[in-house]
Amino acid sequence: MSVLTPRARSVKNKHTQVVNYSMGGEISSEQAVRGAIQTHSRRVWRFGLALSGASDVADDLLQSTCVRALERHHQVTSYDRLDSWLMTICRSIWLNEVRSRSVRRAQALSVTPEAELIASGPDSETNIYAAEVFTEVMQLPEAQRETVMLVFVEGYSYREAAALLEVPIGTIMSRLSNARQKLKTVMQHDAADAGRRSGK
Amino acid sequence: MTFSDETLMAYLVGNLEEVEAGAIESAVEADPELEQRLMALDPFAPVVHGVFDQLPAAAPQIDLPDPLTAAPVPPAGSALRLLAVAASVAVVAVSATFWATRPAPMGWAQQAAIYQSLYAPDTIAVLDTSPEALDVQFAHAEERLGRSLNREALEALPGMELKRAQTLSFKGKPLVQVVFADAQGQPFAFCVIRQGEGAPNKDVNEAVLSGLATATWAQDGFGYMLIGSSDQTDLDGQLDILTTTFAG
Repeated sequence: MSVLTPRARSVKNKHTQVVNYSMGGEISSEQAVRGAIQTHSRRVWRFGLALSGASDVADDLLQSTCVRALERHHQVTSYDRLDSWLMTICRSIWLNEVRSRSVRRAQALSVTPEAELIASGPDSETNIYAAEVFTEVMQLPEAQRETVMLVFVEGYSYREAAALLEVPIGTIMSRLSNARQKLKTVMQHDAADAGRRSGK
Repeated sequence: MTFSDETLMAYLVGNLEEVEAGAIESAVEADPELEQRLMALDPFAPVVHGVFDQLPAAAPQIDLPDPLTAAPVPPAGSALRLLAVAASVAVVAVSATFWATRPAPMGWAQQAAIYQSLYAPDTIAVLDTSPEALDVQFAHAEERLGRSLNREALEALPGMELKRAQTLSFKGKPLVQVVFADAQGQPFAFCVIRQGEGAPNKDVNEAVLSGLATATWAQDGFGYMLIGSSDQTDLDGQLDILTTTFAG
């Protein structure tokens, strides 16, 4: 029989890595936030990439998000969805503190250089395809990009994404529909290429 | 209303008429089960997931301060004890040229100014300024500093509302930041750092650091700093009082 408190069980269920947790006791909010930072750093980084379209800005956004989260650990009342909380902080920093500068800079840059983020594997055709999908996603408008990242990559449900982005669920669905129409071009093109290569 | 998998797939690939697509979207709003079915059928999600899931290739580097103590700490004392990482926050806020061209490691006053430059009226508007909260903060700060912060004098500073005393650390030395709101609600700070016996006394030096008017001085092993809300802030009134109050 588990002796964990309901809250601790919930934390474990969300795969939040919790350090220094002792059975039957309460972890401090600081410990919970540190654990969440460790567990979710990659997804916060990816969200930062989706928001800003630039990996160096994603680095900065992640760092700022984690510092801000630790500063505010005492505001945490539930350890249930600290991942959503981190995402919300990241987006708030992006919108309020970073976006205006970064957008100006991004307009002068092609999105393509970031495609080198795609790991190079032995199969160059797969890599080319991955790079195409990557580029297509990164060229989506910001609202579609952040939604695609939350739902397709991070697995948030439509209603969870709607809550996180503070829009109606219908908006989430229409953003995804619009994004699919653009991604369809790449995926159909690739399917046709694959057909030709296999001699069909 | 139920939808077949074929209909849902047609929606996902954009092959449904607008009316039918609208019917599905309306139904999803009230039906989490339908939402789950739709998500599971989505042919785009696994493709995009496969491309992005491996990013970033290496675990991202995050610079966080060490936990101060294993035991839970009271909220009032634990908030923002993070000067060491303030510079990291500032990477976003401070221009890259500054970092590229800075000639030498920064002193405590420069770091404190960078940190303070991130403060906005919003930062201090929501702080808990109850006497109980301030009691805890001042007790903790004075204990770490090893000296009194003359709270009565700070509370009596003309035109200033005391908002918080926060214990930070710079290179292992306790650094206390006392934050005020001026008459316009703009943040204003008075910092005290314990530099240790033998640290040289320094006369008042006024400078603009990180876009903020500052005044620093040092006496009897402690460093002091006033930080205004802009490069135009007139510090003289507070400076006269504080240099007298903290004369040793």
